[in-house]
Amino acid sequence: MKILVVDDSRVMRQIVIRTLRQSGHGGHDIVEAENGREALEVVQAQSPGLVLSDWNMPEMTGIDLLEALRAQGNTTPFGFVTSEGSDDMRARATGAGALFLIAKPFTPEAFDEALAPVLVG
Amino acid sequence: MSTSTAELSMTHVHAVVEEVWTTFLGGGDPLYEIAPPTDRDPAEQGSVWDAAITVTGAWQAAIVICLPDGVADAVTRAMLGFAPEDHLAPEDLIDALGELVNVIGGNIKSLMPGPSKLSLPLVARGPISPSTSLVEACRLDLGWGPHSLRVVVSVPADQDRDQQAEEA
Repeated sequence: MKILVVDDSRVMRQIVIRTLRQSGHGGHDIVEAENGREALEVVQAQSPGLVLSDWNMPEMTGIDLLEALRAQGNTTPFGFVTSEGSDDMRARATGAGALFLIAKPFTPEAFDEALAPVLVG
Repeated sequence: MSTSTAELSMTHVHAVVEEVWTTFLGGGDPLYEIAPPTDRDPAEQGSVWDAAITVTGAWQAAIVICLPDGVADAVTRAMLGFAPEDHLAPEDLIDALGELVNVIGGNIKSLMPGPSKLSLPLVARGPISPSTSLVEACRLDLGWGPHSLRVVVSVPADQDRDQQAEEA
């Protein structure tokens, strides 16, 4: 499966990709984007099977990206990987159509718990 | 879980920093609290990096982390998975320290009443001073091996007065 990792931090994109590997989900084709606007173009051009996105980014936030995708009728599975895991953020993510929200800092176990139903199921 | 302003304490901030530190840096040296005033001021350990982020909304704050060169270098290498001989560019340090304060700030924000919004991080080689309208609400001096680092949470003066009134 092709997985799109969206984060304005190159360091965090690398940590997310490393954690995918550590959680047993390393055999996928990874593509990257630096913000929501770039991610929107990548989704349209490359049709990934899953989007893992940060929330707080310049240009276009993760929630704006998700809302833009759903407004276009795009139903690509979408999960957040963000430093903000409060109840209201989780409710907003779910309401917009996100499958899960993984809060930073995360462990490989947290990744596996969130991703296994999407990648294995 | 959210807490009232009065409950934001060094214990909460320490727990957040500890969790972020352990997850990003793995099982290395633990962080330990240093009672201020300390002779191990980060600024006394060579040049320092400051990483800052602000929270606006129902709870307002500026969170600044001050790290000496040695800590900034080690944190960045650990986050990137770099070996000691790998070259670190200043952009790598700025990126890693920005993400560090972003995660610490996001987790502290999650403990406080919402809704509120996290800014993008700001990283500088040298001190970042919060707005003069903010007062220091919490200062945490931490040791890490031979190094030390500091985390300061500043809040608007009226918010701090409310906190002190609740504590009284």
